[in-house]
Amino acid sequence: MTIGRLQDTKAGYPGRAPAAATRGGRSRRRLALRRDRLTYWAFLAPALLYLVAFFAYPVVRNVLISFQNYSITSLYTGQAPFAGLANYRAIFDSGLFGGVVVTTAIFTVCSMAGQFVIGLGLAVFFSRRFPLNGVIRALLLLPWLLPMVASTTVWRWLLDQDSGALNRTLGALHITAGTTPWLASPHLALVSVILVNIWVGIPFNMVILYGGLKEIPEELYEAAALDGTGPISRFRYITWPLLRPVTGVVVILGFVYTVKVIDIILVLTGGGPANGSLTLAVQSYKLSFENFAFGQGAAMSNVLIVVALIFAVIYLRINKQAFLSS
Amino acid sequence: MPPYRAATRQQKSLASTVLALVILAVMLFPVYWMVNSSLQPGATSFTTSWLPVHLGLSGYRQALSTQGGHLVTSIVIALAATAIAIVVAAPAAYALAKFPGRSTRPVLMSTLITQMIPGIVIANSLYQTYNSLHLLNSIPGLMLADASLGIPFSILLMRSFMASIPGEIIEAARVDGANPLRIFLSVVVPVSRNGIITAALFSFLFAWSDFVFALTLTSANTVTPVTLGIYQFLGSDVKQWTPVMATAVLASIPAAALLVLAQRYIASGITGGAVK
Amino acid sequence: MMVHRRRRAALAGAILGVCLTAAACSSASSASSASSAGSPGSGAGTASGSTAGGKLSLTAEDYFTAEPTHNVVGGILNACAAAAGVTITQDSVANPQLMPKVLQQLSAHTLPDLLMLDNPFLQQIAATGALTPLGSDGVDLGGYYPSIVAAGTYQGKVYGLAPGVNSIALIYNKTMLAAAGITPPTTWAELKTDAAKLTTPQHYGFAMSADNDGEGAWTFLPFFWSNGGDLEHLNSPQAVQALQFVSSLVKSGSMSQSVVTWAQSDVNEQFMAGKAAMMINGPWQFPVLDQQAGLKYGVASIPVPTAGAAAKVPLGGEVWTVPVTSTPREQAAAKVLACMNSSTNQLAYAKANGYIPSLESAAKQIAVQSPQLAPFVTEVGTALSRTAEVGTAYPKIQTAMETALAAAITGQQTPQAAMSAAQAAQ
Repeated sequence: MTIGRLQDTKAGYPGRAPAAATRGGRSRRRLALRRDRLTYWAFLAPALLYLVAFFAYPVVRNVLISFQNYSITSLYTGQAPFAGLANYRAIFDSGLFGGVVVTTAIFTVCSMAGQFVIGLGLAVFFSRRFPLNGVIRALLLLPWLLPMVASTTVWRWLLDQDSGALNRTLGALHITAGTTPWLASPHLALVSVILVNIWVGIPFNMVILYGGLKEIPEELYEAAALDGTGPISRFRYITWPLLRPVTGVVVILGFVYTVKVIDIILVLTGGGPANGSLTLAVQSYKLSFENFAFGQGAAMSNVLIVVALIFAVIYLRINKQAFLSS
Repeated sequence: MPPYRAATRQQKSLASTVLALVILAVMLFPVYWMVNSSLQPGATSFTTSWLPVHLGLSGYRQALSTQGGHLVTSIVIALAATAIAIVVAAPAAYALAKFPGRSTRPVLMSTLITQMIPGIVIANSLYQTYNSLHLLNSIPGLMLADASLGIPFSILLMRSFMASIPGEIIEAARVDGANPLRIFLSVVVPVSRNGIITAALFSFLFAWSDFVFALTLTSANTVTPVTLGIYQFLGSDVKQWTPVMATAVLASIPAAALLVLAQRYIASGITGGAVK
Repeated sequence: MMVHRRRRAALAGAILGVCLTAAACSSASSASSASSAGSPGSGAGTASGSTAGGKLSLTAEDYFTAEPTHNVVGGILNACAAAAGVTITQDSVANPQLMPKVLQQLSAHTLPDLLMLDNPFLQQIAATGALTPLGSDGVDLGGYYPSIVAAGTYQGKVYGLAPGVNSIALIYNKTMLAAAGITPPTTWAELKTDAAKLTTPQHYGFAMSADNDGEGAWTFLPFFWSNGGDLEHLNSPQAVQALQFVSSLVKSGSMSQSVVTWAQSDVNEQFMAGKAAMMINGPWQFPVLDQQAGLKYGVASIPVPTAGAAAKVPLGGEVWTVPVTSTPREQAAAKVLACMNSSTNQLAYAKANGYIPSLESAAKQIAVQSPQLAPFVTEVGTALSRTAEVGTAYPKIQTAMETALAAAITGQQTPQAAMSAAQAAQ
């Protein structure tokens, strides 16, 4: 009974009043719609203003720069000759591009898989009631509170090949020889940044999914328990479907944020060694601020935005409910 | 309830607490290491022992004497940025959730696209704008900039929470004669409490840990949040990690307290009750 | 419905149009304010502070964030400012963030009155036209080491002066070497055998930075140049040999593979903790090393490929420049800069930083005062500036060289393949 009701209410929104209520017919309805449009724009206006003011200009400027031959001198004089697609061709032909794309893909997919699965598991675990639940949940957000330079440096220490705590523990427990070059080997460096990124991303996923879980009425679970459904079925038929909108946001934003990550990688490995952990975002930063090739850096960050956009569109097509439920 | 049944339930919750503490210990081991090295003067990569046997508070003394003001700056800016973000984003989220129209999708996609732009690109453009508007080196300027970190995220998050508000309770308020603003404030906001608190939480965290705007939009120690001030101990050649870690620990305490408070407010199943 | 769609399209188009115009206008306006030199208000004055009661208030920007350097340099700046009749504020930005900040200031024309740059970057910034040539402002260019003046020169004009310079040498643990009965190596062959002898389960024989943040290339350059390599031909046989030598030290186990993650400060920490018997590092570490109880260290010249060859080391140190602002500010800043480079101030600056003064006379004085700096004083006279041959192309070369270094050391590529790839990337 309760489930049926929930499905009903999801469809309802105040714009269309049920027929019985509109005495006076079409003109009343048109007035109501008009007022709704006004409300819509009035409520949206401050946010739109903010978005345009803070984000529109950088995006447009970035696109413009990517089509120009933009050097340090251009920064100062404002003059940059038009370069057509030269910057894009330069980054695609650079021989690095293929590797960087693969690295980015591995980094993103593995980070997101780890963050989401562990975050969801923890959110489900914490939705039970037990002493100190709230405090522990809040403390799990500590990684986000610490200045990034401090936490990433600690990770550098922990992952050091010769004296890091991780290798010392693994060696003492005889799981490995205790000499793994976590940050000093191109392949393992990628593994390390993925691990640290998962560590950073778990609280984000956990907190949001937990909030979403708390929206699901307890009665549904109680009814299901009375019917004798096991925990896995409860998860499959109650939790997962009702969590869809929140899951959708978490996955999309998680993807966008992961693809954008540079701080962690810059401090841990600088994109190396030998470009082992070089992602599109880090490469874009290095092109602009270490090689001073601003046109190429802008081009690469535009490629990044397009890639993220394509994924977002595909994901939303597949998962219509996730974003635009109803 | 038979006494033995009550006992197993208590045992079960205690077992959960123990498991939760173990999870906490594993997840927060790096944080432990940070506290550990903050208590060992002259800490470097490998001179830090597992336990701070030779306790020294010099790191904290240095941190307190230099970073106190920076901490206050960080908190003030972060709180204001959060407030601005929620005030701007909540009505927008409601509009996008409950008044679907043709522009909803483009607006949502645009909001999502803003999250794809690298922070340094935004900061570079913002620097020029702020310079012309004389907003550089100002606390209000940083508040506005840091709010922009939380607004798109808050819109997207709160929207997904508000989407599941039953149309009936809004309709009921409308039939009662309430105007849209009243409906928003007295019906929508209380019901979407979880979403709003979660969004506020992360807006605070984004603003609190911001580094790029703090670096770009200030100069010469005028306005210095702690993310910037911490670099005082990191010269090119001599890096004093002990006060750095001490600063990190000190900086987290007030913010952690706020988080614990906020988490209490995420309660369960409000929508369910409202329908009944 | 058609009306709505058109309206929405119009709105979107309007927003786009506004943004494009804003973007185009801002780039145009920064061009026009560049041509209208001498107008203090047009953005240039905003960051630097305006006149206060007739006295100019200047800003100096550097990356000396940590004590005691921050205070010593600040003291020199203040004293010189007072002598020039102005006041000055010291804006210290952390090292990795200085260049991004300078770039932002370049685009908004808000460069400070005195700007410090690491010397390899001078060419790029001077090329933009944002710096004023020194010498015409009454800054005396006599008595400096020629290599230092060359480092601050772009197209025949001097744009930057370094009060203090440095280079790198071989620093070794006297106790460990004595215990193994070795004298400091002077050739590559000796370095290889000595490093092997000094490698025990407790410590490596040798350590040098090979990271990808600028310090790897810097540390590798002595080996590269001394063997005859030149920056325009990264895949020459001499260059490959140098890389082969360095990576063989890791392969033979005398050097840790982690050097690809270590900056010079990390290498110094390893040395101080007794984890490496010898290291390549610079004199700025001496104040830190001196504080380490029980550590006896010695300084020697970097080993050369064959006996008797000349050691070619890179020139380090930061140049101070006077960006274009307005004539009165530039003149005042030039006065402060000249005062900073007086013999006394150079000695104070050098002591605080662990550098060598760039005035030959002051350098000779410091060699007498601190004998351990003597090898560096000799080196600095013949040190090579990294941008002397390749100018603004250096950053790209540096990146390629460091990638090759890491690839060879981690065994991902052979030295030949790594250097070929580096040259191909140019």
